[in-house]
Amino acid sequence: MIPEMQYVVNGINAGATYALVALGFGLIFHVCGFFHFAHGGVYALGAYAAYILTHELGWSIWAAMPCAMLVSSIAGGAIDVVVYCPMQRRRATPLVILIASLGLLIVIQNCLSLGFGDDTKSISEGTVSEGYLFLGARITPIQVATIISLVMVFGAVGCFLHFSGFGRKMRAVGNDPELACVFGVDSESVVFLTFALGSALAGLAAVLAAWDTGLTPVMGFKALLGAVVAVIVGGRGSILGIMLGGLLIGMAQHLVVWKLPSQWQDASVFLILIIFLLLRPQGFLGKPLRKVSV
Amino acid sequence: MDYFLHILVLAMVYTILAMSLDLLAGRTGLLSIAHAAFYGLGAYTSALVAVHFGVPFVVSVFAGIVVAALISFIVSLPSLRLHDDYFVIATFGFQMILFSIFNNWMDLTRGPLGIPGIPQPVIFGWKVDTHLEFLELAAMFTCFAYFVVWRITSSPFGRVLHAIREDEVFAKALGKNTLYFKATAFAVGAVLAAMAGSLYAHYITYIDPTSFTVMESILVISMVIIGGAGSLWGPLVGAVVLVTLPEALRFVGLPSSVAANLRQIFYGSLLVIMMMFRPRGLVGSYGFSK
Repeated sequence: MIPEMQYVVNGINAGATYALVALGFGLIFHVCGFFHFAHGGVYALGAYAAYILTHELGWSIWAAMPCAMLVSSIAGGAIDVVVYCPMQRRRATPLVILIASLGLLIVIQNCLSLGFGDDTKSISEGTVSEGYLFLGARITPIQVATIISLVMVFGAVGCFLHFSGFGRKMRAVGNDPELACVFGVDSESVVFLTFALGSALAGLAAVLAAWDTGLTPVMGFKALLGAVVAVIVGGRGSILGIMLGGLLIGMAQHLVVWKLPSQWQDASVFLILIIFLLLRPQGFLGKPLRKVSV
Repeated sequence: MDYFLHILVLAMVYTILAMSLDLLAGRTGLLSIAHAAFYGLGAYTSALVAVHFGVPFVVSVFAGIVVAALISFIVSLPSLRLHDDYFVIATFGFQMILFSIFNNWMDLTRGPLGIPGIPQPVIFGWKVDTHLEFLELAAMFTCFAYFVVWRITSSPFGRVLHAIREDEVFAKALGKNTLYFKATAFAVGAVLAAMAGSLYAHYITYIDPTSFTVMESILVISMVIIGGAGSLWGPLVGAVVLVTLPEALRFVGLPSSVAANLRQIFYGSLLVIMMMFRPRGLVGSYGFSK
């Protein structure tokens, strides 16, 4: 086993999880133009749905996965219909919506904590396998599944956005909601379906992460922080950027352990965020930020 | 009776925090999620100098002020390029980094073990050790914070802050160095939060990082928003409401873990409801939009 390669493999795996959460978060941010912090809550709801299905009802994890995605998707769509849509009709600014979504995240997180307790739950079944040896590093089947889903989901979402009619509508609303409206795009239903799609991706990421490392009520908050950093580092509206951003912070988090004690992982991720915000707030591949309107 | 006085002291600590945050969020339009970090900087700095060097209360508070002011310049730097929601994200990053320092720099802060044995304040021979005396001290701090915020907001300086909140480009066009105004307002807000932190550390005599998490920042934001941003009384109303109402849960006889969750659900839902229906809060004048 080569320790350096192990850091790289762990980093890619962590980065893949961040990228999957960030993809849903980034899609919503791109289309609607606000930070949907409750995405972390939607993510945790998906994980706990999978926990109930596998643990209480005895389903296999592969059967529970699509159901968890459905639960997340419904939760995300409901949040849009009940909270965001009325706020957008009243022309609430992105900052006002951000504060409301922060409130939603706190509510969901504490409801989960009330219902399931604060201890770490597990949905893994059977014995822990020691994994395959790959380029001198151990990689578990769950990590392989995570990385394969990342590649497949990014490919599928990228094609969907660029080659399907609905994907084009999503990009149109993201670029200019008013112009999209002029061309007859019903932006409210586009936003709703974006929430449903993005939240389903959060559910997928949540089941994979829960399978790998277990679930706690604060898992959504942690995943969300990674997603926020990945989206800002990657750049608004760029699928490839989000994937690179997720992988970059996953790698940074695990390569830091090589030189520094592991408790500085979080600080290093946020240092990357601050550096990007100061020097290149539009991220790797994003377009320049909107300026203050005159 | 002591319990009642204790709640009042806490309400005053939070009033100072909420008033100082309102100076940034409600007056200047710089919503910061790093406020608990400055609160913590004040608490940790004065706890450390008081425990290690045995300096008097006045000096330890002053040390907290200096450190918070210096760090605040670094945190206000991103406001050079970022506005509104992006600025929120940047302060979020600073909050997480500073919390990580409180929690992980074992040699300095003892991490999750916290710092015990912080001496109770002695101010020029006045030994503050009962709840009632602490209430008097906290009231002095609150009046001082109120005076500072009132003085700033009713001065020409405050009018420039107001202009920056409404339209920064326009303020620049009138020849105002907006970066200077934003950085100064941020420093004043941070210094007042640090004073609240010093007061808290010397009152409880023990601090650990759990008092300075991002949830604490969000709690202070909730106070400003629920009370009302951009007003002198709003933060006070918000702090008193959010400190005292959850105490009622204590008397219903719920276990403390359930009560803690219910309290957070209460803040969270109030935030959502306020932002949906009344972004300017109970008595405020600013709804976080132009």
